[in-house]
Amino acid sequence: MYFLTLPTKKRIQGMSTAIAAQRVRVKKPSYPCISCCSEPLTIMFARSSFRIALDAWRIVSRQSITTSSRIYPYSRVAIIPSAPPGSPPASLRRGKGLMAYLQQTLPSTEKQKIISTIFSRTHPDRVRPGTVLTVNLTHAPTSFSGVLISVRRRGPDTSFVLRNVVQRTGVEMQFFVNSPHVKEILVVSRAGGLDRKKRKGLKKAKLFYLRDSPEKMTAMSAGVR
Amino acid sequence: MFRVWAFARHSPFCSRRSVHQSLRANAATESSTSAVTKWTPASIRTGVIARKRGMTAMWDEHGARFPVTVLQLENCQVTANITTLRKDNSEYHAVQVAASDRPPKTTTNQMLGHFKKAGVSPKRIVKEFSVTADAHVPVVGTTLSAAHFVPGQFVDVVANSIGKGFQGVMKRWNFKGLRASHGVSVSHRSAGATGAHQDPGRIWPGKKMAGRMGGKRITSQNLHVVRIDNTLDLVFVRGCVPGYDDAHVLIRDAKKKMVALAQHNQAKGLYEKVLPKGVLDLPFPAGTEELSKTLPPVILAPSRRTTSPFIPRE
Repeated sequence: MYFLTLPTKKRIQGMSTAIAAQRVRVKKPSYPCISCCSEPLTIMFARSSFRIALDAWRIVSRQSITTSSRIYPYSRVAIIPSAPPGSPPASLRRGKGLMAYLQQTLPSTEKQKIISTIFSRTHPDRVRPGTVLTVNLTHAPTSFSGVLISVRRRGPDTSFVLRNVVQRTGVEMQFFVNSPHVKEILVVSRAGGLDRKKRKGLKKAKLFYLRDSPEKMTAMSAGVR
Repeated sequence: MFRVWAFARHSPFCSRRSVHQSLRANAATESSTSAVTKWTPASIRTGVIARKRGMTAMWDEHGARFPVTVLQLENCQVTANITTLRKDNSEYHAVQVAASDRPPKTTTNQMLGHFKKAGVSPKRIVKEFSVTADAHVPVVGTTLSAAHFVPGQFVDVVANSIGKGFQGVMKRWNFKGLRASHGVSVSHRSAGATGAHQDPGRIWPGKKMAGRMGGKRITSQNLHVVRIDNTLDLVFVRGCVPGYDDAHVLIRDAKKKMVALAQHNQAKGLYEKVLPKGVLDLPFPAGTEELSKTLPPVILAPSRRTTSPFIPRE
């Protein structure tokens, strides 16, 4: 185990806080000894300051690293993320269960948790169509609430559609769970509430009929801002 | 019976096509030093054979979503280096590559002999990639890996498209068909007229008509390699690729965006533009399994966008 850090001489101003927050312990890889080199070779990024750190990494790499001492000598701007720990089973090399394995490993751990609990088909804490959710985004609109009318389950490409009536206009927004712009998904009120009898009405997976019946829409989204 | 071939004169180049040539044996006679060959803008490298495993989506550093196809190399090995002399005495060089192990029981004796000579296990698919003379893979039997491709480069992916069977002109050739009503009788999806009148008085050859659609060799050009995985030999390319899942595909450096650009920019003196932005070099003559073990397990290409599409421009 070792830390990957910047050399103090070439620390770029303003970047030190970003990098300090993102120093990550990584397992020593099997390729030639990196701890021997004094150059910074990989830096792990959090999504929010990814771009700043990426530009800085590029600058650093151009200045200080020669082709021969790079981890990856074929590209100047390649990004080297941390790999999932452990070696994958041999059957994956023949392709058995490869896409399912990628579905588990491609999204980040937080997003994977959301996909496998909230948007799962069978998890007890899953969210049913008719639930009211609030999504916090990094871009405008920073927050959107609405009734969940459909969930499109595709592993890393899972997405859902929220419908709301905003200023007397029906608005639907589709959010991709794995998108870096989606910060938070909050459950405002579960479908049918806690009363099991009320859940009987909501039997469909896709509630597209709400587009044509405003009265049912207002009943579901009562009090949603 | 008069057998013409029995009287064929054998020219000095009688074995015109030399297969299973290990260049190391030849190189030893030519020069004592074993030089490490480097990629040049005039070189054309070999391709690989992979399997299309499926599609998914990825997000770049700006947060823009893009579709990717996952291609996996399944024990892709070099089975021959081919050097042939054409009738006009020009040389044809190729690297023969095979992939996907198959049981010896289902392999013909002829192919078993071919694979034994190459020193590889029997394979399902054997294809050739034409290369320049310096791009022969020295050791026959070398296992190629995903490290052959560099994230940030462009590739052409060749595969057989999904067969659609016998299809009408509307699906096959995007014809508009006829009206749905207003008196059209029984020919709503037909082609309509097929020619002129007495002049030419026939149907032109190649007239677009109904017929078998799909199941042909199709090339998707200039696909951006976004990610390679050295532990599982995966190559993620942006966009879609012909064929169904688990079909064999051929991946090679893009003829338009890599090979041609490299040659032309080198000739013009634009040395920075010879390779795509950020790409410094390409594994030459090929990215092998040994090379992939020395490289990081996962390598990503940065986005080709410079500005975020989510920030409005003034």
